[in-house]
Amino acid sequence: MDLEGQSLRLELHGAYAVELIDVSTYYYGEKRPAITDINLKIPVNTLSLVVGPNGAGKTTLLETILGLLKPRRGRVKVFGYDMAKRAQFVRKMCSYLPQDFMKDSDEPFLVKDVVAMGIASNRDLGRLGEEDWRMVYEALELVGILELAERPIGKLSGGQQQKVMFARALVRRPKLLLLDEPFSSLDRESRRSISENLLPDLVEDGCTVIMVSHDLTFRPTICDLVVRMESGRIVEVMRA
Amino acid sequence: MISTLLVNSIIVGFVAGSLCGCTGTICGRMRLSTIAFSMAHAALAGSALSLLLGWNYLITGMLFAILTAIILGPLSDILRISLDTASMTLFSIYNALTFIFLIMSPGPTLSSEKVGGILWGSILAITPAYLIILMTISIIYLMILQIFWGRISSILFDPRLAEAEGVNVKFYTYMLLVLAGMIIVFTLKITGGFLVFSLLFIPSATSIQISKSLKGMIFTSSIIGGLSSTIGILMSFILNLPVGSCIVIGAATIFAATSIASLIIKSRITEGESIEIGS
Repeated sequence: MDLEGQSLRLELHGAYAVELIDVSTYYYGEKRPAITDINLKIPVNTLSLVVGPNGAGKTTLLETILGLLKPRRGRVKVFGYDMAKRAQFVRKMCSYLPQDFMKDSDEPFLVKDVVAMGIASNRDLGRLGEEDWRMVYEALELVGILELAERPIGKLSGGQQQKVMFARALVRRPKLLLLDEPFSSLDRESRRSISENLLPDLVEDGCTVIMVSHDLTFRPTICDLVVRMESGRIVEVMRA
Repeated sequence: MISTLLVNSIIVGFVAGSLCGCTGTICGRMRLSTIAFSMAHAALAGSALSLLLGWNYLITGMLFAILTAIILGPLSDILRISLDTASMTLFSIYNALTFIFLIMSPGPTLSSEKVGGILWGSILAITPAYLIILMTISIIYLMILQIFWGRISSILFDPRLAEAEGVNVKFYTYMLLVLAGMIIVFTLKITGGFLVFSLLFIPSATSIQISKSLKGMIFTSSIIGGLSSTIGILMSFILNLPVGSCIVIGAATIFAATSIASLIIKSRITEGESIEIGS
């Protein structure tokens, strides 16, 4: 079944994009949980902002939602699917922009190939077609780095690398987009363009966005939910 | 007779060397070098066990290598030690087991031709059946890389991100490790158990000096692996020296020549740039 078909199914499957019920996640070998007793429901087709100081558990929350970290207690559902059982299936509808995206200067992959990987991981077998490459160049143009397509990613600046990872997240046409400090290396103009144009457009097209940030200078123009975290707990959920 | 053996040896050596070069580059990118190193010594211990039990070395060698690939991950998790530490611990155990199995094996031990073949390699082990099996493995390996390249390259770039995008990273990693195990066991008869890992990593280190893209690195390390084996086999024939050692000397010579050439080219480029800035 293609992703369009899957998305129709998931709309019927649950009204919430993400549901966390009494979730506690521990890092391996740690006695203290990184996030504790998290209860959170994020409706589909919304943009939510997760804020809080360093060490509040924001990244852990994102990785728990994706099933990259397994909660010791509680349940995580994405589009109604239990992530303990269907993580791999659900992840194909998601995109993730991690906080630690920087690559070494000797990283040999070309920018266009890195973006194409976003499509390849959703394809069953074989090479990418003409239409796939068109999507890759479109995503690069959207984030303003089309001219860097043939450059090795390791030779780019931090901000340019972050844009490449943004393009990779977008090319997957995700139903759920998880962004971890997406503005950390970007200049003022790029931050403004993404927060004022790109993210609102994505939500309008049916994507659910969860964005982690400790810097609220550039708050997206549309923001449905603000989740404030401290010491691994949610201390406040505000409807914006 | 000698010419047929030599031609067969060169063909097998080139194919095995190319496979090792390619595997070494992929394992290196996946940060699995120490695991591959440990698997090579597991294959050696398995082959030594075959002498003791009178079994086919391919079965026991493969069993040990693949078992190592499978148990290393869970072992490091359970014992809470790094994969590198777990690999090196197993490497030491396999070396100890190799000597115990060899000493316990029937007949004149360290001087026998069979033992020599396992420890330092022998081109006498190369038969037409061996050549057919090696060719089959090569075709399977190339097909897997071709079919799954999209996902494999995603894992090679960033396994965590690939996992976040729904790629079954564990499955592909184990698949590549099992293939690496098969290649190591088959190459072991030519280079010998103590030197097989050299053919995995020296061509890979050389290719980094030459190529800028990953596909280029995989291609050049395959060619360099194949060339090293060919040079080594010819040297072994002419000088009557152990073939495994000759292959490693061949690979190291190519590495040294490439490194020197690369340094000269880089220094000339830097010189040219500084003259341009000065003028």
